[in-house]
Amino acid sequence: MKALELQGIRRRYGAVTALDGVDLSVPADSCTAVVGPSGSGKTTLLRIIAGFDAADAGTVVLDGEILTDGAKAVPAHRREIGYVAQDGALFPHLSIADNIGFGLPRRDPGRDSRIAELIRMVDLDPAILGRRPDELSGGQQQRIALARALARRPRLMLLDEPFSALDTGLRAITRQAVARVLREARITTILVTHDQNEALSFADQVAVLNEGRLLQVGPPRELYLHPRTPMVAEFMGEAIVLSARLGAGFADCALGRVPVDDCEREGAARVVLRPEQVKFAEVDQQDPQQASTGYFAKVVEVDFGGAICSVRVRLLNATGEINADSPPLRLIAASIETPQLGAIVRITVVGKAHVFPLDERS
Amino acid sequence: MKTIRCRSITTLLAVAALAAFLHCGGERAVAQSESILVYNAQHRSLTEAWAAGFSNETGIKVTIRNGSDSEMGNQIVQEGAASPADIFLTENSPAMALVDTAGLFAPLPADILSQVRESFRPADGRWVGVAARTTVFAYNKNKLSAAQLPKSLLDLADPAWKGRWGASPAGADFQAIVSALLAIKGEAETAAWLKAMKQNAVAFRGNVAAMKGVNSGEIEGAVIYQYYYFGDQARTGENSNNIALHYFRNRDPGAFVSVSGGGVLASTKHAAQAQALLKWITGKGGQDILRTGNSYEYAVGVGAESNPKLVPLAELDAPAVDPSKLNGKKVIELMMQAGLL
Amino acid sequence: MPQRWPKPVLSQAPASPTGLLALASRLGQVGLRPRPAHHEWRGRPALRWLTGAAILVSLLALLPLTFTSWAAIQTGWGTAAALIFRHRVGELLVNTTLLIALAVPISTALAIALAWLTERSDLPGARLWAWLAVAPLAIPAFVHSYAWVSIIPGLHGLFAGVMISTLAYFPFLYLPIAAALHRLDPALEDSAAALGVSPFRVFIRVVVPQLRLAICGGALLIALHLLAEFGLYGLIRFDTFTTAIMDQFQSTFNGPAAYMLANVLVLCCLALLAIEAAARGDERYARIGPGAARMPRRAKLGRALPFCLLLMSAVTFLAVGVPLITLARWLIVGGAGIWRLDQIGAALGETVLLAGIGGILATLAATPMAWLSIRAPNRLQRLLEGTNYIVGAVPGVVTALGLVTIVISFAPFVYQTIVTIVAAYVVMFLPRALISMRASIAQAPVELEQAACSLGRSPMQALWAITVRLPPPGAAASFALVGLGITNELPATQMLVPNGVQTLAMAFWSFSSELDYAAAAPYALIMVLFSLPLTSLLYLYSKPSASR
Repeated sequence: MKALELQGIRRRYGAVTALDGVDLSVPADSCTAVVGPSGSGKTTLLRIIAGFDAADAGTVVLDGEILTDGAKAVPAHRREIGYVAQDGALFPHLSIADNIGFGLPRRDPGRDSRIAELIRMVDLDPAILGRRPDELSGGQQQRIALARALARRPRLMLLDEPFSALDTGLRAITRQAVARVLREARITTILVTHDQNEALSFADQVAVLNEGRLLQVGPPRELYLHPRTPMVAEFMGEAIVLSARLGAGFADCALGRVPVDDCEREGAARVVLRPEQVKFAEVDQQDPQQASTGYFAKVVEVDFGGAICSVRVRLLNATGEINADSPPLRLIAASIETPQLGAIVRITVVGKAHVFPLDERS
Repeated sequence: MKTIRCRSITTLLAVAALAAFLHCGGERAVAQSESILVYNAQHRSLTEAWAAGFSNETGIKVTIRNGSDSEMGNQIVQEGAASPADIFLTENSPAMALVDTAGLFAPLPADILSQVRESFRPADGRWVGVAARTTVFAYNKNKLSAAQLPKSLLDLADPAWKGRWGASPAGADFQAIVSALLAIKGEAETAAWLKAMKQNAVAFRGNVAAMKGVNSGEIEGAVIYQYYYFGDQARTGENSNNIALHYFRNRDPGAFVSVSGGGVLASTKHAAQAQALLKWITGKGGQDILRTGNSYEYAVGVGAESNPKLVPLAELDAPAVDPSKLNGKKVIELMMQAGLL
Repeated sequence: MPQRWPKPVLSQAPASPTGLLALASRLGQVGLRPRPAHHEWRGRPALRWLTGAAILVSLLALLPLTFTSWAAIQTGWGTAAALIFRHRVGELLVNTTLLIALAVPISTALAIALAWLTERSDLPGARLWAWLAVAPLAIPAFVHSYAWVSIIPGLHGLFAGVMISTLAYFPFLYLPIAAALHRLDPALEDSAAALGVSPFRVFIRVVVPQLRLAICGGALLIALHLLAEFGLYGLIRFDTFTTAIMDQFQSTFNGPAAYMLANVLVLCCLALLAIEAAARGDERYARIGPGAARMPRRAKLGRALPFCLLLMSAVTFLAVGVPLITLARWLIVGGAGIWRLDQIGAALGETVLLAGIGGILATLAATPMAWLSIRAPNRLQRLLEGTNYIVGAVPGVVTALGLVTIVISFAPFVYQTIVTIVAAYVVMFLPRALISMRASIAQAPVELEQAACSLGRSPMQALWAITVRLPPPGAAASFALVGLGITNELPATQMLVPNGVQTLAMAFWSFSSELDYAAAAPYALIMVLFSLPLTSLLYLYSKPSASR
């Protein structure tokens, strides 16, 4: 079984450090998404794995074979690693069939059948084999690029933001198709993306990269529920990050006294809540009883989004004015429960808030 | 603002273009009223010296258009009566004959005719010689001894001379020499000689290039005119230090003396000034320049001496050729048949 | 709504092909795709006016060529056949074919090697080398020849012709190939490498096919220049059609033989155009998809570095060093005596005047056609455009020949005036202007014009305010290309220039054909200095904007 091991990868471009000691382990037959903002180094990492760039230090080991050891590197064309570029990068001067078969030896008798097999694998009509790449849509081009990369049965597949060039509608369909193909072919895959949806739906393991350092690696659920830094939290989805005072398993924060998942920590810390953990109910301002318990906020913005709506609220202080110190909170509500603009709502928190570990670096 | 700037730049450019156009047109208008236009196929430096001397003396401005003999001759014929030229100066006479046959020259007054020796002007008195040059065989002293030199121009057709001699067949000078050969020996022999030349000779572009080829040893000899040698010797000599001149003599076609001609166009609007220029060129002023200047061409004026460095005309034993009978067109036809043009 | 990281910046559509890349690609009539003109132009009166202007320009441009053909017909088939099917013409054909068949492939190989070294390798000082690779264009071809002949007097024949032609003209291939290499998407090469193809084979299988348009266009350009070149071959005693036509012109002015040779020459041009069209095919090699704005990776030369430096230095020395050093030597040898400032100043003034007026007029004449070809292409427009390219592809000597006879016979009032010679220049250099203007109009989106219309400007005003102003690089490139061409033009200039006017090229030629190299040197120097800023403009504008 193949697996990819990266250890201590470092890369600098002049004064800029692209990668600062990255360690990553990719299990065989799995899909890892490497995510991060632009400039985080994720594309550089991918290119080092592919062999297009050299690392200043560190090792890349694939299936026990050392591909990169510091400055020494096996050249890209000998690595047997498949690569799909951001926009497919099909060769415009060749037909679809020649594109798919580019890596296959020309005299191979089984070439044509393999090409037909590949194009069926990516769910496209073999009739397009004679066409040129510019006659296809973006999504079709991406699938052909995948078929081309799969032709040589690579040990590892690298996808460099493969769906970012597609329109939204096409993106989801193509993503699902590609995921299915890779899963069925049982190929270890590394996907680089800046899109949270892609990372969550595609990957068995998510690695968050920022400024050349890996912030956290783990299953998507783990990163979602227990992010190590506010940045990771915010990448995995909407996050409400609050400063708080910890004590006895509770945190005192702007939303009141909230239970936390770390019972031992004391003192100042930051905690994170997910929007679905913050419930609110409209308050009848005339009713004194309803106005007495909980925390109140005023609805300042409502974004209708169909099934899920986004609601921005601002916490009110004791006198009923908007608390200028606390930032607005972005909450979600089902369409039928969406409050009116300007309404006062009572905030309650369900579940436990997550405490960021001490060695957070965001 | 950008718009205003662009607009003003465009306007400026348009005005500049218009001004330039008017300037050129105006210049032509001015030129037409006060100056004369020379269609010049002679060497620039010589004609410029003549023009300068003439303008200094008379104050008449001279504009020169340069070209080559047959080019300008044919051009004048094409232009016909609408030709803007006032005077036509050539290096050789076939072009003069061409224009004369088309009837485009005005008869010249006797005072001009009387200044030029009879052998150097046609009988019909419509043009005169202004200078002359003789054909020579310029050879490399180090490669050919006196005994090996060709006795006659016709010897060069011999296969023994293959690759050893050269000339400039596209040039009017050599075409004039061939026209003399045609006049002396007739069409059949000339055609044969030209065919042999195609096999034997190295074709250069320009007499200076041919001379330089001899000097460098690329070829052993070249059929050119004498003044190229003397001119180069008077300068640095680097193109001719290895060269000696061989004069064929014996009335051989290779001793042909070519007459440079000058004539006044019948269509000229400045007949008086044009004649004045021609008179000056054929008179003391112009012929003195031939003697003292660096053109090293022969003088043709009555009583005019040529440059002392040159072998005197009388000693050249040139064949008798009527300059007005030289048929340039036929020569070109024959050269094209031989594949030289 | 889920939050996202900001998206990486994607580049725009492929950078505008300006300058010679556009020239190269456009000469073959199917260029790199500019923005497709799917927008219907609503200004119907403007359209009619522009179409009329374009038709007028095309007809005028066709006149000399038509006359040349008509002269052939007039001569009668018998004479024409006798003049065409003779041994000399066969000789000239062999010479010309061999010249092109040797010089163009050698130039292509040289240009690809140099372009690869400057664009794709880690050669130190690549930008300097890139400029030096373009610099030979600043030296007119006949000055190249003059330099070599003055060093090696016996230099002549096919070998000399091929060598000097290659050294003088390879930048015409280098520029588009380097620009194409620069703009190539490295993702293609990365993908090919990941598919197990070694770097060298990636170059052959992926990179070179992408260069095909550039190579075809540049090769055609060089071939046409070789056909039209006079001074270079005149000095080295190599006979081509153009030198033979000039010889005929000197001997017969505009005799039928000159016209016959001209017609054969035109047929050669058409053959070249057809060959190039066939070689180019109608495949589209422009990049598919928007692509990332990544710079291509530079290959490490390693141990090959000294050899590559040697190659680069050798080519630069031969193509730039030899002419400049020789020129300097002649200037020193000539001393102060050769600097006749009155003559030189006059020649310089005339040249500037002609180049300036010609440049402006050619740009103006090209604008209607260029605009139509982008905004409102149709069959008629394509026919006109094709005509212009063919006419411009024909050597200047043929155009001048036709023009001379036309003017003498039908328009004697412009005979020997600046009008005739500028008209000849416009006809000869229209394709250069057309390509530059076309490329930059393609860059100005039609939406801007339409926005201007909606803000109250008439369509013509919108055209003037937006499209003509917006792409200054196109107009500047057009002016530069045409001006450069006029400065170095020799045969047509000699035939058509007004009386008493002498351009730098003419003065140079009259001295150097007399082998008075020292006296010719100041003129050569001035022509080189004159060409330098124009060549720099070309170099700058051929680099895609993504690199700045």
